[in-house]
Amino acid sequence: MRTIVITGTRKGIGRSLAEHYLSEGWQVAGCSRSASDLEHAHYQHFALDVSDEAAVVNMARQLKKKYTRVDALVNNAGIASMNHALLTPVSTVNRIFQTNVVGTFLFCREMAKLMRRSGSARIVNFTTVAHPLNLEGEAIYAASKAAIESLTRILARELSGLNITVNAVGPTPIETDLIRGVPAAKMQALLERQAIPRMGTVDDVVNAVDFFLREESDFITGQVIYLGGVS
Amino acid sequence: MPDRQAVETLILDSVKMLAEDFDLETLKQPTPELALYGEDGALDSMALVNLIADIEDALSERYALSIALADEKAMSAKNSPYRNVQSLTDAVMERLPA
Repeated sequence: MRTIVITGTRKGIGRSLAEHYLSEGWQVAGCSRSASDLEHAHYQHFALDVSDEAAVVNMARQLKKKYTRVDALVNNAGIASMNHALLTPVSTVNRIFQTNVVGTFLFCREMAKLMRRSGSARIVNFTTVAHPLNLEGEAIYAASKAAIESLTRILARELSGLNITVNAVGPTPIETDLIRGVPAAKMQALLERQAIPRMGTVDDVVNAVDFFLREESDFITGQVIYLGGVS
Repeated sequence: MPDRQAVETLILDSVKMLAEDFDLETLKQPTPELALYGEDGALDSMALVNLIADIEDALSERYALSIALADEKAMSAKNSPYRNVQSLTDAVMERLPA
């Protein structure tokens, strides 16, 4: 049975990804800051902060003991904050970079160690269309995702010798907590900048992640797929 | 806390395991002085990364020690700590908590 680690599984896209891969017969290890009500014989939840190095290392040790190796990682956990740069406190900057960049890096580092003997492993990181679209009000969020894209491309090279591919998915706005509170007019203007001007769905994201995880995708690494025709 | 002999044994075990994984004939029966990395060493940089990760992992599993062998000190050292098992053992001993 293949093992996949998915971060941020308590709700939203992460939860849907966990349920999807459970239904596909994977062993799923998920995490979020708080406990999860997802109950399944093949699901194990870890309550932790993804930027807490000791907690992530401890999770990796437990996974190693239980499953010996990890075959895939989906770095879904992330936070956003919309604000004008002149009004953004440094505490918000630090919080976003800790969760989005440090968290993604820590999971890549620790899970890649467990993927070394997988033979063909996959890492999928999460970016956003806010980065290529240079969305006003999302300077820090987009900057943190730009860092993740750079991390993705470089790790693709550093980990290729271990037969690990590293790619990223950049969703458009989706009806989740992350965009709650964005004014309707602003959302409409954003959608109009996409080649396909509609809100994304969780299924759109799952489809892109599925593509990167496929066995046949072992020659695809260091790539970013933006949904909705954004480039 | 492990003594020097225990650390050396742990590293030799890690080298043997790596030699099997990477099929490195010269490292299958390692000695403390056998060159690992650098001049005459059998490891390329990727194999070295794997070895360091394995040693850190083994130290954590056997002794609950969290030791970083690729820290700034190691990177800037005049003599690389990755030359052979002996120098790696020295590096671990230097980093053991007091």
